Amino acid sequence: MDCPTCVDKHVIRVENLCKTYRVPQKPPGLVGSLRSLFSREVQQVHAVQNVTFEIQPGERVGFLGPNGAGKTTTLKMLSGLLVPTSGQINVRGFRPSDRDPDFLRRITLVMGQKQQLLWDLPPYESLELNRALYAISRAQFQETVGQLRDLLDLGALLDRPVRNLSLGERMKCELAVALLHRPDVLFLDEPTIGLDVTMQATVRTFIAEWNQRYGVTVLLTSHYMQDIAALCNRVIVIDGGKLVYDGDLGALARNIAPHRRILLRSHTEMTLDALSAYGPFVREGGSTVASVHASVVNSIVNRLLVDIPDIELSVEDASLESIIARLFQRGEGETRNGRQ
Amino acid sequence: MAVFWLAWTVVPLRVVFDTRVGVAGWTYDQSLLVVGFFVTLKGLLDTFVEPNLRSVVEQVRMGTLDFTLLKPVDAQLMISTTKTMPAKLFHVVGGVGLLFYASGQLPQPPSIGSVIWAFLLLSSGLACIYSLWLAVVSLAFFFVRIDNLSYVLESVLDAGRWPVDLYRGGLRFVFTFVVPVGLMTTYPSLALLGNLSAGDGMLSIVVSFVFLFLSRQIWEFALARYSSASS
Repeated sequence: MDCPTCVDKHVIRVENLCKTYRVPQKPPGLVGSLRSLFSREVQQVHAVQNVTFEIQPGERVGFLGPNGAGKTTTLKMLSGLLVPTSGQINVRGFRPSDRDPDFLRRITLVMGQKQQLLWDLPPYESLELNRALYAISRAQFQETVGQLRDLLDLGALLDRPVRNLSLGERMKCELAVALLHRPDVLFLDEPTIGLDVTMQATVRTFIAEWNQRYGVTVLLTSHYMQDIAALCNRVIVIDGGKLVYDGDLGALARNIAPHRRILLRSHTEMTLDALSAYGPFVREGGSTVASVHASVVNSIVNRLLVDIPDIELSVEDASLESIIARLFQRGEGETRNGRQ
Repeated sequence: MAVFWLAWTVVPLRVVFDTRVGVAGWTYDQSLLVVGFFVTLKGLLDTFVEPNLRSVVEQVRMGTLDFTLLKPVDAQLMISTTKTMPAKLFHVVGGVGLLFYASGQLPQPPSIGSVIWAFLLLSSGLACIYSLWLAVVSLAFFFVRIDNLSYVLESVLDAGRWPVDLYRGGLRFVFTFVVPVGLMTTYPSLALLGNLSAGDGMLSIVVSFVFLFLSRQIWEFALARYSSASS
């Protein structure tokens, strides 16, 4: 039960969460269709398998995984839309699948792919509808709308019909409607999908600002690594329905891609032979590059700077994209997607 | 349009009663009452119930029901009250008009008590249809496309334009207890005529509560198995 006086360290606790979908299979063609009328073959799809994690109040956690990994399914179970096949979920002391009104008042789910704004009416009407549904007082409504209008730079958007808004403007309004009731747990399912770079940045800044101001907990999925890098220190990676990684984003990068690239640009021509004393340098386009383990980068760079006076060099981290790609490749080798 | 439709509903009745004085104990004017209740009920259904439940099927298919389920309000209440089709209220007006006309043709005008009974029974009829609709809609959670089934239901409801006594044996049982179209239109007419026993009236109301309860169970059962649409 909800208990505001209890000091619970975790806002979200998930234990051994599983979700299995039963998906009917139909053989191709007319004969197949007729046959499936009488005996339908059902395939079990294990969308989420034995996932366990905890999230503390005020955390911003990134939820990563390739398409079909089970991210959205997990978010939907966390927000009470889907009933887990097995396992436990506790969000703010509630079991989401009970869909307790007090629970629903504390959470919100934003889906980049679906919208709740009323298509033919201005977003303000959707705000008013939600004010009524959540029984928000007029004073609090005005205050929250004012804050959202400032932070999201909504201006006159709220009074224009939704169908006349651009995708980015719609997303901003969507966020405003989703946050109107001041939920303290935000589930964001690809909130920046399809948005241009500037609008992505706007949405990111807004989420960070809202999190800092009100200490809300954010669980975010995104295909844009910049979103995750900018917003989340901690990432949970699932692949084929299984949890592959849970922890610090920096540590993930060091674990998966321990190598860094040293790029040389020098006025003096250096032979690769001469450089081989420092590291495994090769020519790549116009520059000379070596990929070395992070632990030896410093010593190599120091020696190069001392030995070659007019050297210009830079050190590059592996991009987050390549790290994630490598992680998924590795995960695939181990678990080979969840379908059986 | 509404006037045309109203007239069209009365035509078969005229044809049937053209050569006979009574059918299964019902005179033309008495049968007109049944048609009046049928038109009123169908009008109410088309105004308040049908647009909502039809949109639920679409919401289940597209997965936008998610947002409805996220609101801290009873989901059944939400999905049953989001849409209305005020234009269809003309049918209700036409139906009520027909009821007034048919009542005026009766040898003696209905008493206040029988009007109240008729109103109660009409409400319980509406509750029954609503429950049936809800149960059919709940199937959408399993089969997704159920448009055809809703047409079947609509056609079955059409049976309500005739007094239930016209049907015999199995059909009569079906139209009284399974798909209680008889309860919906014939019983209110009988009440208006002062020919319905209090016991039958009470039974009809009890049946409607049973229907409401059962459909609620079916709805909740279906909701627990909602699989949303992937995104």
